[in-house]
Amino acid sequence: MGSERYSFSLTTFSPTGKLVQIEYALSAVTAGAASVGIKATNGVVLATEKKQKSILNDEHSTFKVEPITQHIGMVYSGLGPDYRLLVKRARKIAQKYEVRYGEPIPTTQLVQKVAYIMQEYTQSGGVRPFGVSLLICGWDNDRGYLFQSDPSGAYYAWKATAMGKNSVNGKTFLEKKYSETVELEDAVHTAILTLKEGFEGQMTQDNIEIGICDAKGFRRLTPGQVNDYLANIS
Amino acid sequence: MSLCPDLPRPGFSFDNCKRNAALESRGYKSKGFVKTGTTIVGVCYKDGVVLGADSRATGGNIVADKFCDKLHKMSNKIFCAGAGTASDCDKVTEMIRGQIALLELNSGRDVRVASVVRIIKQYLYRYQGHIGCALIIGGYDATGCHLHSIAPHGSSMELPYLTMGSGSLAATAVLESRWKPDLDLEATKKLVRDATAAGILNDLGSGSSVNMVVLTKKGNETFYPYDIVCAKGVRSGLYDFPSGTTKVLRTKVIPYEIEKVEVRGASEEDEPMDI
Amino acid sequence: MSILAYNGGIVIAMKGDGCVAIATDRRLGVEGRTVSIDFERVFEMGPRLFVGLPGLATDTITVSQKLRFDMNLYELQENRQMTPKTFATLLSGTLYEKRFGPYFIEPVVAGMDPKTNEPYVACMDLIGSTTETVDFVVSGTAEEEAYGMCETLWRPGMKPDELFECISQCVLNAMDRDAISGWGVKVHVMEKDKVTTRYLKTRMD
Repeated sequence: MGSERYSFSLTTFSPTGKLVQIEYALSAVTAGAASVGIKATNGVVLATEKKQKSILNDEHSTFKVEPITQHIGMVYSGLGPDYRLLVKRARKIAQKYEVRYGEPIPTTQLVQKVAYIMQEYTQSGGVRPFGVSLLICGWDNDRGYLFQSDPSGAYYAWKATAMGKNSVNGKTFLEKKYSETVELEDAVHTAILTLKEGFEGQMTQDNIEIGICDAKGFRRLTPGQVNDYLANIS
Repeated sequence: MSLCPDLPRPGFSFDNCKRNAALESRGYKSKGFVKTGTTIVGVCYKDGVVLGADSRATGGNIVADKFCDKLHKMSNKIFCAGAGTASDCDKVTEMIRGQIALLELNSGRDVRVASVVRIIKQYLYRYQGHIGCALIIGGYDATGCHLHSIAPHGSSMELPYLTMGSGSLAATAVLESRWKPDLDLEATKKLVRDATAAGILNDLGSGSSVNMVVLTKKGNETFYPYDIVCAKGVRSGLYDFPSGTTKVLRTKVIPYEIEKVEVRGASEEDEPMDI
Repeated sequence: MSILAYNGGIVIAMKGDGCVAIATDRRLGVEGRTVSIDFERVFEMGPRLFVGLPGLATDTITVSQKLRFDMNLYELQENRQMTPKTFATLLSGTLYEKRFGPYFIEPVVAGMDPKTNEPYVACMDLIGSTTETVDFVVSGTAEEEAYGMCETLWRPGMKPDELFECISQCVLNAMDRDAISGWGVKVHVMEKDKVTTRYLKTRMD
């Protein structure tokens, strides 16, 4: 295997111009639990699979969908511990911005700054790239935003997207289902259906997590609220 | 990265200190800072806490601000009233608010009054009284309602009713004579209003109006202002100058084209995304 | 003598109906000696955003350059105009950073929101304690005189022309009783679609 020769040091270019470590990091993302984001006319929804390894796990004590500020939220596919570090950094970035300028950080600025950190970890000594892709949603300027940020530090703006396991199927599904005029309620349904595409077993309020963001701000749905949406679908 | 930082390095900069000391040694003194003068009052009642403040800021003998806001929101159910150097009060509360927001996000629960007090007093103690803010912190948390005061050196106490600032003597007189345990809300608001008004009327560092906030387990309710104690009189004459009174030597006009007025819905998928 | 009165100078800003004005004198002195009569202590930081930095002239220049730097960085980074309120917060932070060794200036910010066209005026002390008002703000060596003038002449709802007369008379008459400001006055009146800059005839003594 040619590429393995260039894995001796972290993130060194291979002769073909590839950074294989970053590609491996992306593999960690693709192997991770699926997450979906959809931008609606009046809000943005994030949804993710939260399968527990054992029935003994307490499902509602740790979260994958996290608020960053009052109006920005985040979810990931990939390595959980890496994600929590980024959440902490993102929150601090947002607070620093608010203290300096006296206004909440625009979603685009937060995304740029988080992506900057992720890029730093592809070029610094003694570190490895993050094994996560982030979905960041926000509401400012009277409109919603949905971004994806990859281990390489690249970031994309989406109308709707899927990451992690089965992301190819998820995206194909979204391409078929997505409409420009979709409203938040329907977008939540579409997000759940997209997760269902590759979902093994029964989908319940305990093994998915949903966050929504609109003019009122970002919030994570309670298991009860998730259950209502699930009931509506079936 | 350090060549062109996005945000400046945190903390104070002492770059000008040597120069300023040199100027001072030559007899050029600095000017005083704007002080809040201030009467701030806090009273616990049976369901929560009421904080009150006057709204005058002074720079020397000048009234620098007639309607300044001395009640600072720390979290949804915790407010902070500040007396002393205006800038210190503003900036300390602003900074601590940021820290508290992070604490709340990272811990996933509402912060307690005691935590806010601890963070502030540790910060103020580090600066040994050089950051001149005296604060009353009141709020409602998981352990009930609390009212603390912090002195500029970082000492603090918890009491059922409190007042600080230059008008505190007048306000104390009102509080001492009328405070009772377990007052109801209306009586407490009246008491806070009267105590603050005593400061406004008897202390020249305090003035204008009474601002108030009520903190209960339901959240906060603000009154900006609760009562205008001393309203400005109505001007009887009109002192307008006819156009052309002032002699103009030269005029330059920079016209701006009015930006196109666009009306659009929340979705703008037809346009390229701006990143 | 206070170091803030070393060079002299006065800045006033006032709100009108859909307009806002900022006026400044043009003298630079070294105590009683006049050195220059076209000194700039009011800076145009953006379309319809002005900042006046009366006080020690060296700090006027330093802080104006610092602000320009921070603002350019912000506007390039975020691809949008800074609002006057954000600008004031930034300036306040810049001043408070030097809490224990301040710049000797007491800034005045005047502007209109780029989107809503809302007039904005604010002034600060030398460590960034911000006062936002609904009427007027003044700062500089003729501050006490100017406060008296503005309290008398200002009224709500002035149109651009009325606002110009009002602020001009305030600054002219305040300066008359201050020995170390004067020598020409520059008035900027901001409106939704234009900024009018006028140079006033004043006493030159």
